[in-house]
Amino acid sequence: MQTVWMRRMGLAAATVLAAAAPAAAQETIKIGVPTALTGTYADLGDQSRRAVVFAVEEANAAGGIDGRKVEVRFLDTEAKPDLARRQGEKLALEGYKLLIGAVASGEGLAMGPMLQRWDALYISTINKANQITGSACQPRMFRANRLDAADGAVVTPWLAGRKETKWAIMAADIAWGRDSGASFIKSAQANKRTIVSENYSPFGSNDFAPYIQKIKDSGAQGLWVALAGRDAINFATQAKQFGLFDTVFTAGVSFVTDNTVKTLGEVSRGIWGIINYSSTLDTPANKKFVADWAKKYPGAEPTNFEGETYIGMQVLLQAIARAKSSKPADVAKAMEGTTFDTILGKQLMRKEDHQLVGPNFFGYVGDKDGKLKPIITMSVPPETATPPADAACKMPG
Amino acid sequence: MVINILNGLVYGGLLYILAVGLVLIFGLRRVVNFAHGSLFMVGGYVAFTVAAYSSFWVALPVSIVVLALLGVILDRFVFRPLQHEDPISTVLVTFGLLLVLEDVVKTIWGKDFLSLAAPPLLSGTVSIVGETFPVYRLMVIVVAVLVAAGLSLWLRFSRIGLYVRASSVDPVTTGMQGVDTDRVSAAVVAIGAGLAGLSGTIAAPLMALSPSMGSFILIDSFIVVVVGGLGSFSGAFIAALLIGQVHNFGIVYIPWAASLIPFLLMVAVLIWRPTGLAGGRA
Repeated sequence: MQTVWMRRMGLAAATVLAAAAPAAAQETIKIGVPTALTGTYADLGDQSRRAVVFAVEEANAAGGIDGRKVEVRFLDTEAKPDLARRQGEKLALEGYKLLIGAVASGEGLAMGPMLQRWDALYISTINKANQITGSACQPRMFRANRLDAADGAVVTPWLAGRKETKWAIMAADIAWGRDSGASFIKSAQANKRTIVSENYSPFGSNDFAPYIQKIKDSGAQGLWVALAGRDAINFATQAKQFGLFDTVFTAGVSFVTDNTVKTLGEVSRGIWGIINYSSTLDTPANKKFVADWAKKYPGAEPTNFEGETYIGMQVLLQAIARAKSSKPADVAKAMEGTTFDTILGKQLMRKEDHQLVGPNFFGYVGDKDGKLKPIITMSVPPETATPPADAACKMPG
Repeated sequence: MVINILNGLVYGGLLYILAVGLVLIFGLRRVVNFAHGSLFMVGGYVAFTVAAYSSFWVALPVSIVVLALLGVILDRFVFRPLQHEDPISTVLVTFGLLLVLEDVVKTIWGKDFLSLAAPPLLSGTVSIVGETFPVYRLMVIVVAVLVAAGLSLWLRFSRIGLYVRASSVDPVTTGMQGVDTDRVSAAVVAIGAGLAGLSGTIAAPLMALSPSMGSFILIDSFIVVVVGGLGSFSGAFIAALLIGQVHNFGIVYIPWAASLIPFLLMVAVLIWRPTGLAGGRA
C-alpha cells in the first residue's frame, strides 16, 4: 500500500516539476565546494569557504547572475585526494556540478579525470602542482591561482640576489610539496646554488625535530619551506625553539601566509616567501574588495588564500554570465581564451592549458600599519610570472 | 647523534604520557578509549586559555585538574555503563565522544590554529656536545621520567596501586575480594585523563592547537599501546621509548620509509608476541 502511495507521490512530484519546466531558466546556480573543513589543512579550507560564501552573497545581493540566485554546498575532504573524489562526485550527483575551492593539489588531480564523467567542472584556486595544467590537464579543469612553475619564475630572480650558496628543502610529502621542491631545485640550479638536504615530511606531522636536526647538520645556509596549515605552524614553532631561523636564512611558499603569521606571531618575523595575493595590493578593484570584506567579516582583511579563491569565484561567475548558462560544458567553453575582470586586473584564461595568466609577488614578514604581516617587496607582471603553457598538456577529447 | 637520541626521547616521552593514560583506562575498564586523543586536545586548549590570563605554570596544574574532573564524569556516565557491553559499542561511543569534543572545541575556540609559547624560563637553548638544544624539550623528557617513576611507585607501593594492579588482571575476582572496583576505576580514569591533560599542555608549545590535533597523535599512541601490550604499564614505557627512537632515526637514515617503520614494528611485534612486548596475561 505504502509503495503505491509513494509512487503516486512521485508521479505528482514529477507533474509539478514538469509544470515548472518553463521556469527552469530561473533555477538556482549550484556551486559545490569539496574542501578541507577538518584536518591539517582545515584553516586553508576555512579560508576557501569564507571567500566562496563572500562571493556568493555578493552576487545574490546584486540580484544574482543573469537573474538567477547562486547557492553553494560544502563537503569535507580533509584535503585527502580519495575523499575529495568521493565528495566531488557526491556534489556533482546532487546537481552541484560547478566545483571550486579544494586545497591540496592531490584533490584536484584526483577529481580531474572524473569531471567529464560527472558532467562537472572544477576551478582550482589553491592547488599549485604543475600537473593540474600540465601533464594531467583536463577539458573541464581550470586554474585561477599561481602554479609552482609561476612561483619558480619569481624565486629564480630573487635567488640570484641572495648570497647563500648551500640550500636545504623542507616540504610536505604530497603532490604539491614534491612539486614545489622540484621547482626550487630548478631555480637553485639556474643560479648555481647547491641543495645539501632534501626533506619531505608526511602530511600532518607532529614532530619536526629530526628534520630540523638534519637541516642543521647539513650545513645549509638557506632553507626553502613548502609546508602549509598545521604542518607550517608545527615546523616553524619547533624550528624557532632550535634556533634554526637564527643561523639559516629561511623562505618558503604557503609557509608564512596571512593566517599562519596570525598564529605564529613573532616566530614568523623576517621569514621570506612567495605572496600570491595580498590585501595591500593597490588597485581600485582590490581596495573595494578589501573594504567590502571588512563589512562582511568585521575586523578582518582577506588573506592570500581568500583573495585567490575570490578571484576563482570572479572567473566562474563571469563565465556563467557570459555563457548565459550554468551547464558545465557551456561554462567551460565560455572560460577558454577569455579575459576576466579580477581584483588583480584583467587576466586571461589560457585556452591551451586552462591556466589564468596572473601576476606574482615576493616579500617578507614584517610590520605594516602596526600589524605583523607578509609585505610585498617584488612584483612580477602576469606575462613574466606565468610561464608559457606546458607542452605536456594535451587535452583529452 | 646525541641530539637525535634526545629528540627521540622527547617524542617518545610525550607519547608515553598519553599512552599510559590509555593503558590505565583499558586496564581497569576494558574500554579502548578513542576519545583519549580529544582529551589531549582539550588539555591543550584549556592550558592555552588559562595561560592567556596567567602563566604556563598555572595552566599546567589547572589543565590536569580540569581533565581529571572530566575523567571522573566520563567514568561515571560513559565507561562504567559500557564496561560489560560489546567492545564494538565502546569503540563507537568513545569515537562519537571524540567527534563531540572536537565540535565543542570548535565552538568555543574556533577553527583557527592557536599557538602557546613555551614559558620564558624554558624558552632558551642549551649547548649539548656543541649543538644547541631547546631547554623546553629537556623538560618534556624530565616530565615523562617523573610520570613513569611516580606511576610505578604508586602502583607498586600504595594500597590503591595494589587494587589497580589486581583489577587490571581480573576485575571480577578483585571485586569479589571486597575491592570497590568502581571507586578504583573512577580514580584511575581521572588519573588517565589528567595525564592526557598534562600531555596536551606540554605538547602545546611544540605543536599547533587545532581541533583535530588529537587524531594526529592518537594513532601513534595506539601503536605504543599495542607494541607494549594492552594493559601493561612498563610495556607502554618501553614501547614509547622505542617508537620515539625508531621515528627519529627512521627520518634521519631512511626518510622514504620513515612513516612506515612504526607500523612495521607493530606488525612484527604482533606476529612475534601477540600480547605485546611486556604483555603476557592474555
